[in-house]
Amino acid sequence: MKTAFAKAIELILSGSPELLNILATTARMSLSSSLIALLLGVPIGILYGAVRFPGRTPLVVINRTLTGMPPVVCGLLFYLLFSGVGPFGKMKLLFTVKLMIIAQVVLITPIVIGSMETFVSGIAAPVRETAKGLGFNGVRTFFLLANESVYQIFSSYLMAFARAIAEVGAVSMVGGAIAWKTNVMTTAIMQYTNMGNFSLGIALGIILLTISLLVNIAVTLLQGRLSS
Amino acid sequence: MKRVLSVVLATVLALSLAACSNAQTQATTTPATTAAPTTTAAPETTKAPETEPAAPKVDLQILYEQDNSMINTYTLMCVNPDAPFVDADGKEVKDVALNTIGAEALINFLLSEEGEKLAAGYGYEEYGEYLFYLLDDAPVSRAEIPAATEETKQIRLSTTTSVKDSGLLGYIIPIFEEKYGYSIEVYSAGTGKSIANAKMGNADLILVHAKSQEEDFVSAGFAKKLDNMEKERMSFMYNFFVLCGPFLDPVGVKECATVKDAFKKIADEKAVFISRGDGSGTHTKELSLWPEELGIKAEPESFAKYTDWYTSANAGMGVCLTMAEEMGGYILSDKATYLTFRANGGIMQ
Amino acid sequence: MRINAFTKTYGSRRVLDFPGCELERGKICAVIGANGSGKSTFASILAGTVTADGKVETLSSKISCGFMPQKSYAFRMSVLRNILLNGNDLKKAERVLNELSLMELKNAGGKTLSGGETAKMALARLLVRHYDLLILDEPCASMDMKGTIAAERLITEYAQKENAAVILVTHSLAQAKRMASCILFFDDGKLNDDPERMEEFLRFYGSDKGDPGNGGI
Repeated sequence: MKTAFAKAIELILSGSPELLNILATTARMSLSSSLIALLLGVPIGILYGAVRFPGRTPLVVINRTLTGMPPVVCGLLFYLLFSGVGPFGKMKLLFTVKLMIIAQVVLITPIVIGSMETFVSGIAAPVRETAKGLGFNGVRTFFLLANESVYQIFSSYLMAFARAIAEVGAVSMVGGAIAWKTNVMTTAIMQYTNMGNFSLGIALGIILLTISLLVNIAVTLLQGRLSS
Repeated sequence: MKRVLSVVLATVLALSLAACSNAQTQATTTPATTAAPTTTAAPETTKAPETEPAAPKVDLQILYEQDNSMINTYTLMCVNPDAPFVDADGKEVKDVALNTIGAEALINFLLSEEGEKLAAGYGYEEYGEYLFYLLDDAPVSRAEIPAATEETKQIRLSTTTSVKDSGLLGYIIPIFEEKYGYSIEVYSAGTGKSIANAKMGNADLILVHAKSQEEDFVSAGFAKKLDNMEKERMSFMYNFFVLCGPFLDPVGVKECATVKDAFKKIADEKAVFISRGDGSGTHTKELSLWPEELGIKAEPESFAKYTDWYTSANAGMGVCLTMAEEMGGYILSDKATYLTFRANGGIMQ
Repeated sequence: MRINAFTKTYGSRRVLDFPGCELERGKICAVIGANGSGKSTFASILAGTVTADGKVETLSSKISCGFMPQKSYAFRMSVLRNILLNGNDLKKAERVLNELSLMELKNAGGKTLSGGETAKMALARLLVRHYDLLILDEPCASMDMKGTIAAERLITEYAQKENAAVILVTHSLAQAKRMASCILFFDDGKLNDDPERMEEFLRFYGSDKGDPGNGGI
């Protein structure tokens, strides 16, 4: 462990272009996928939590099931769909960051929806009653609910980001861990582990956790400021 | 939401900047940029021990190598654009988009005098010994290599982990890319997965090391014969697998006359053996070394009787080496991965 | 202005059976009754937050309707922003806040208010806009005496100025008598105009504890 820590620091200080490329790809992928998942998941989550429309319960159950979808299954699905022989092979998206983001969005959005749905269900009744009492329409009520949920939106984002940056099953399937292109922290750790280079794997793991910590600190500070 | 994004981006940027400053070279992540060493390289280039100060001694040792039946031959194949591709449902798929021109360019480079010299010279710098040897009958290409065009620029190479992890590709490919303007995406996995990936239409050429699987690939019509080559399978370099085991060698495989005898002895004594079990080239080779009467094959049923000593890990080489180290077992490994494993002190607590 | 007849049933329990009535603009109509007599259900159905059996329309749809639920809710923003949600008239908002002694708290977060303060804010939020019908479900229940007096004055003034009908659900008979020109007495889910039954009810609720008018019955 000691050597791994030393190696992590050494690795960061070395500024190896490959490491920087892996960091940049990781950041691009996990930030994009978590933000897209947030943009999709928050409105749907609020809708599921606040409106009792017919067919809502089955949708919520399906969403809860999707929350538990194994990343490899999601990865395999996209691998088959976007392979050269697959129906979308002509789009040439396999082994690109774009497809990694798409697969992650599919994986993460249900988590955001579930988290928002649970929270909004708890506050929807008084908010809707009050908004209706003031004569507000649905759109206005939706934005009021979103405003009431700011703290939860931040928490959901952090959950989405954590899943995105830590996820390896789907990314390695659809990304292929191609150096200088689709290799991210987790797939690189996996590669180094398979090579028997454990200390480098741990070193990357430490860097990954550090980035995660910094993002969490930043978002939590913002959460505190914007949701008081 | 814009503010969230900017703060997050700023954080990552700050970290990257911190990483850029105070640059220091580090050998392990940037494979050799110097020229290939000659055969009469100076002896002091052996691995510097200072980089691994606290490395614990590794018990796992190379016990058997350089046996003819442990030859590990690497083969290049160009994926046939007219191959009988099928989708996940087994339905035929026509016109799978492949970059055959690019694939041929890379093959012709690797098999050119220059490419073969690079491959044969690789490894001394990193590991203190050569990792690959040229086959005596390796095909040599004198074909003109066209420069990359917009359509042929991207080449997808599906290969095995041992080729990539040894650093060989990271050493040769940039030279090729710089010279001809191509850009190569290397997908690396065990040979089985690597070939499957090509069959899914996701690779333009493959570089693998499992003869039986290669022959299946050819007979199924997936390989394209280059005009200037005799065969679809272009085997051009080799090295040896190594049989590793505990330093004390309780079974005594070192004394065996051939490696097949060593494997028989391991089975007779029921000594712990770690198998990759993942359809990789190493796994395929290992299966060929067991005494035939045991009937050990890739299918789990075939070794169900031997689970008290035969461990099918279904994992990468590094993970399997750790298992062997911890369980005091024997294992078949490619040499490059074992050397990396040893250099890193083996296990992590 | 007319309220149509409707019923409300939860499961097999008929909680409300309303025969319909006329409302007069500019006047306040008090709704009284014991706990569980159906007052709040009545208010919620009129406001549209609960639907009557068979989704019966209880009001003519042309009427604009404002409703203050029993539990007041402050949105996650300042008190002033909470009120300006319902109209941009800053002068009007500040006047109402001033009357209800909330001026000092106008920049405080809505969520930081006490129960009584939240009720005042919720009332102020409704009073800054015109509604044809204003439904208030126990608006003064958690207000202090001074707040109650101010609220009563503002509500009475609103009814006259905006020419609005007001339905005031209350537990305070004194308040009902002070403000209302008509009283609906709910008894077990039904309107009851039997004077004897009313008399009996009055005996129990004869003195309004803490009521500013102190038992004007």
